[in-house]
Amino acid sequence: MRKAAFAYWDNRIAPVFDSARQLYLVELDDSGQIIAEARETLPDDQPVQKVLRLAELGVDTLVCGAISRSLQEMLCAYGIRLVPFVAGELPEVIQAWRSDGLPADAFAMPGCRRRCRSLRQRTAMGGRNIS
Amino acid sequence: MSGGMKNSKQALATPTEAILESISDGVFTVDMDWRITSFNRAAEEITGVSRQEAIQRRCSDVFRSSMCGTGCALQQTLKTGKPIIGKSGYIITSDGNRIPISVSTAVLKDAGGKLVGGAETFRDLSEVEALRRELDSRFRVGDLVSRSPLMQRVFEVLPAIAASPSTVLILGETGTGKELMAHTIHDLSPRRQGPFIAVNCGALPDTLLESELFGYKAGAFTGAAKDKPGRFDLARGGTIFLDEIGDVSPALQVRLLRVLQERTYEPLGATRSETTDARVIVATNRDLAEQTRSGAFREDLYYRVNVVRVQLPPLRRRKEDIPLLVDYFIERFNRLQRKAIQGIAAEALSLLMAHHWPGNVRELANAIERSFIMCSEGLISIGHLPEELTAHGLSASMGANVRSAHDLLDAQSIRTALERNNYNRLAAAHELGIHKTTLFRRIKKLGISLPEQDGRSGKARAQ
Repeated sequence: MRKAAFAYWDNRIAPVFDSARQLYLVELDDSGQIIAEARETLPDDQPVQKVLRLAELGVDTLVCGAISRSLQEMLCAYGIRLVPFVAGELPEVIQAWRSDGLPADAFAMPGCRRRCRSLRQRTAMGGRNIS
Repeated sequence: MSGGMKNSKQALATPTEAILESISDGVFTVDMDWRITSFNRAAEEITGVSRQEAIQRRCSDVFRSSMCGTGCALQQTLKTGKPIIGKSGYIITSDGNRIPISVSTAVLKDAGGKLVGGAETFRDLSEVEALRRELDSRFRVGDLVSRSPLMQRVFEVLPAIAASPSTVLILGETGTGKELMAHTIHDLSPRRQGPFIAVNCGALPDTLLESELFGYKAGAFTGAAKDKPGRFDLARGGTIFLDEIGDVSPALQVRLLRVLQERTYEPLGATRSETTDARVIVATNRDLAEQTRSGAFREDLYYRVNVVRVQLPPLRRRKEDIPLLVDYFIERFNRLQRKAIQGIAAEALSLLMAHHWPGNVRELANAIERSFIMCSEGLISIGHLPEELTAHGLSASMGANVRSAHDLLDAQSIRTALERNNYNRLAAAHELGIHKTTLFRRIKKLGISLPEQDGRSGKARAQ
């Protein structure tokens, strides 16, 4: 079972998670089939409230665009795996995540190919260790 | 080298491009599909994205600002045709840093006047932000906030006072923040990891205060079943703050003198002395020098506590701090009460500036806290302020407008002048620079109540 949240805006991954409000939630069973999908609005409040809401929703992975370091650390502290600095159309990104293809450069934000890939892998591993 | 020349020749193909490359503001242009069509050198530097990677990508994926999405300035400009100047926000770089920026936008049209896209310029405000923070910190030490020259002098010597182990005497009227000052000295001192123990010497009867300060041993008196450590013992390695020191009885003054001189004391019922290493800070709102002259306060104790003296000015002598303190309290109560009050209306602030503040900063804090109950959103206006600031005979029906603010200020000035001149109307009129008949007219119009006896009749009686 995997449950991921995709921060989106205008049917694309929202460019900045810190100011994003809309979430698309996808839950997969062990065979990788989608068992539930839902839309959720995040509180427009303190950053920690967003992280708490994600934890409440039982999300284990967050796929988002640019995200500030303080929020990255908060998510890590709550054991949520992070796939940051992702750009692209929402359905394509979801499809890539389902097939474990998200580290691909095609979905990396400009200027984030080399630098952010290591961050993506590091935070994702950190999340796994905690969870 | 020839390659470099070739590149620079390419980069500076037109004068416009040369100018765009030379400026320190980031500039990019987009087409009607929000794809980046040009990206200058400063834009590369501020965002950390190379021009090569940026061109033909969606501007929001490159720029990554807090405005991208519903708050997009460029989208608004393209919709309305009107430029936006200096809208504030932040961008997030690839290493997760937030960079404060301000953006300005404009539409791009071709030679035929057809809309072909938009241009956005942005300025890195990191340095400005850093300077603003540094400037703010000059007016703030711990929780103490002031830009008054009187307090700035105190702020300057505070680190040195905190670093020394000497006893500190804090003088100031009630509500000027004596305990806050003592706490700040403790927080800046090498003892900051140790405890800060505050005792209000004026709140307890003599015998109770003695056992509070020095503790007692089991069996010292009926009901003393076991040892109780005193505040001096609890403050070991830290600071003990003795407030209202001017209210301590002569008998206890002798015991305090011994603690300060010899660093030893005896708990009630103890047979052996104990030592203390606590740093002592004392405070009073009384005139200790006068009390010493009248014999109410021991001279030797006065000289013992008066090693380093910090004088806190009353709020009426540092009224320039009122706007800063109001902002500070609004920010604090917003945080505590989870509200979003934006600030205070100009006429309400004028009223606060005109008040005498006998209760000093504490009274101001209470006034703002009270207005938070009345004000649910937006700005705090006159109607939200406590009655004692707005009352004095003015009817509530006048409403919270500039006119009523003006009348309130007038009433306060007149009342203050009258009080200062012992209700002598002529002297008050002189002080206010108005004729006495004008003063009478204003008193009547504003409904200011006066005591039956005035300055002249008082004088006559005295004679």
